[in-house]
Amino acid sequence: MNTASFFENFLPALFALLLAMDLLLAVSSRLLHCIRLVAFQGLIIGLIPLAMWQWTTPPHTELIVIAGLNIALKCALIPYLLARTMRSAHVCRELEPLVGYGTSLLIVLAAAAFSFFFCRELPLPGENVSFLAAPVAFTTILTGLFLIVSRKKAITQAIGFLTFENGITAFGAGMALEYGLVVELGILLDVFVLVFVMGIAVFRISREFQHIDSDRLNTLGDWSGDDENEAEMKGEN
Amino acid sequence: MTGALFLILVPLTAAVLTYFIDGRTKTARIILILTAVFHAIMTAGVIFLPALRSDDSRWLGFDDLGMTVLAITSLLFLAVSIHTAFWIPADRHYAHSHSHILLFGKPVFLPAMMAFLATMSMVIAAKNFGLLWVAVEATTLVSAPLICYHLSPGSLEAMWKYLLICSVGIALALFGTITMTVAAASADVHGLNMDAIKTASENLNPAWFKAAFIFMLAGYGTKMGLAPFHTWLPDAHSEAPGSISALLSGALLNCSFLGIIRVLDVTPADLQDFAHDLLITLGMISLIVAAFFIIRQSDFKRMLAYSSVEHMGLAAILWGLGAETYALIHMCGHSIIKMSLFLLAGNILLAYGTRTVSEVGGIFGKLPRNAVLWLTGILLICGTPPSPLFVTEFLLVKSAGPVLGSVVLLLLFAVFAGMSMVCLNMCMGTHGHGHHHHHHGHALPLPPEPDTLRLKTTEKLALVPTFTILLALLGGIVLTIQLVRYGG
Repeated sequence: MNTASFFENFLPALFALLLAMDLLLAVSSRLLHCIRLVAFQGLIIGLIPLAMWQWTTPPHTELIVIAGLNIALKCALIPYLLARTMRSAHVCRELEPLVGYGTSLLIVLAAAAFSFFFCRELPLPGENVSFLAAPVAFTTILTGLFLIVSRKKAITQAIGFLTFENGITAFGAGMALEYGLVVELGILLDVFVLVFVMGIAVFRISREFQHIDSDRLNTLGDWSGDDENEAEMKGEN
Repeated sequence: MTGALFLILVPLTAAVLTYFIDGRTKTARIILILTAVFHAIMTAGVIFLPALRSDDSRWLGFDDLGMTVLAITSLLFLAVSIHTAFWIPADRHYAHSHSHILLFGKPVFLPAMMAFLATMSMVIAAKNFGLLWVAVEATTLVSAPLICYHLSPGSLEAMWKYLLICSVGIALALFGTITMTVAAASADVHGLNMDAIKTASENLNPAWFKAAFIFMLAGYGTKMGLAPFHTWLPDAHSEAPGSISALLSGALLNCSFLGIIRVLDVTPADLQDFAHDLLITLGMISLIVAAFFIIRQSDFKRMLAYSSVEHMGLAAILWGLGAETYALIHMCGHSIIKMSLFLLAGNILLAYGTRTVSEVGGIFGKLPRNAVLWLTGILLICGTPPSPLFVTEFLLVKSAGPVLGSVVLLLLFAVFAGMSMVCLNMCMGTHGHGHHHHHHGHALPLPPEPDTLRLKTTEKLALVPTFTILLALLGGIVLTIQLVRYGG
């Protein structure tokens, strides 16, 4: 087997792994496990541009720099930050999802089926673009959105956001798009700082509320106040 | 390029400097004002000296639209920074809980404010869709700690919602940006340079471009506060300190709208109608949602926040109708008036320690200067002539046609009724009257009467809003005379 065909098989394998990570994220019940899964997704996404390179010539420096930074940030630094936040905020490890794990798995599977169905007509922009790229990226995006709305803890919502962002990056990488080193670096920096700020927020929330269940973060809003007023009026009557 | 670099890098350097000296000191506040003054001078330089904005750069530069938004942002920041420099000591003296968000043991409020200015300048100067996205996301990141100046549970909740909802929204815009790359590649444009995409706009693949437009509209629309993506806005704007709400509402919403305008700018001619229809639809939904929530609103800062949703909706409708200059005038007028109102709301909050309308009463007697300005501001923001918003809203109704026009008028009337009720409840009566009435059976203690010294301090803080309200009034009079003379 020559190098070129090895990489040809390598790329679909990466996308298949990404899809498997989505499914695992839907059913994993431990926080640390979720963080590891997202870290592994980061590794896969860092490898995609390298796997898409034809390897008849050595890849140019920009590609290597971006892949290296992607892996360093998304596979090492961000998961480390999340795990540290988890420890310092004394988050208990169970996830307490609003939707059960079985149902979660079904929903993510349905999202995958929908993505494959939706993407079958989509024109591929290049020849070496894998037909798996768009549907798997969409599935990852939908999984991330699902995690954000269906999990209670603030830190799990941050993990959901990272999955969501991973899906978007996977789409860009899978479509072999290049938007310049400055933009790539800016996006990476933003994501890193976002996780950092979210970490501070999670820490402060746990200090202030003694918990980080974001479903109890609902004192603000226009409906709750009205209910109180109505209750008061009834009490007066 | 040079001008743009200065406008971004100087506030950023000042932010780093303030971080390393203690951000709570007087020196830090002086640095804040100096930064704002420098930014204003540099902005004037960029506008009047073409040499400072040489257009050869592929990444940063200013067009006419950018310069208008830059001017209003810089002016606003100058006013807000002067106000903040005097507000911080007063607030530290009177607020029950005061604490900054700390980063490695140092307070980040003032550094984050200057970094906010730098990132907003970058949004305005960006000539590349990728860079635009990076800058808009950066504004979210540096402004999140600003919301939490008082570390209350409510402000933490608001900050979390702001971070999460805006980041998800902005991530949708990133997806739109990536889709735009695909659309650009179909027209043989590599990269995301706006000028290059605009030149090739007729060759863009329409399906990919439509997808890009929808995602970027949803993404930047979230940041701009267009309903139904506005849910973070009332929380963030009501929990943040007054001066930060003023910046978020007056400057940031404009910058986010600029993101949408940049996409509209490269839209191919046969997709313009589609884009404009979407914009008008979102604008109408915003107007309806805002009108619905302003009526019987019990929190005066939330009311102002919903009013921002309303005015962003109006600006979107104006742009969708093709009245682009009027949309710009509307944005500028709204920025100045809303900034003044948020600063005044911050003052009232400082004096009374509550945002609940029924607990604030009789500000005419206790805070006469603030009260007169508050009433004037509310009338101006509702579009009472000679407000600049009156002119733009008049022209909107005129060009919208009978059906859309009458619906808009009806909703504007509802907003006016809701806002004037809140305003009159606050201005008239005696202190705590409404409060007493509402909690009749509960025997809740009335909040303590604000002492004279506190009221005096608050009255002094009405200085900056006085100037900005006068500025808005002056602009409005000039515009109204123009309208009367030329009939639009």
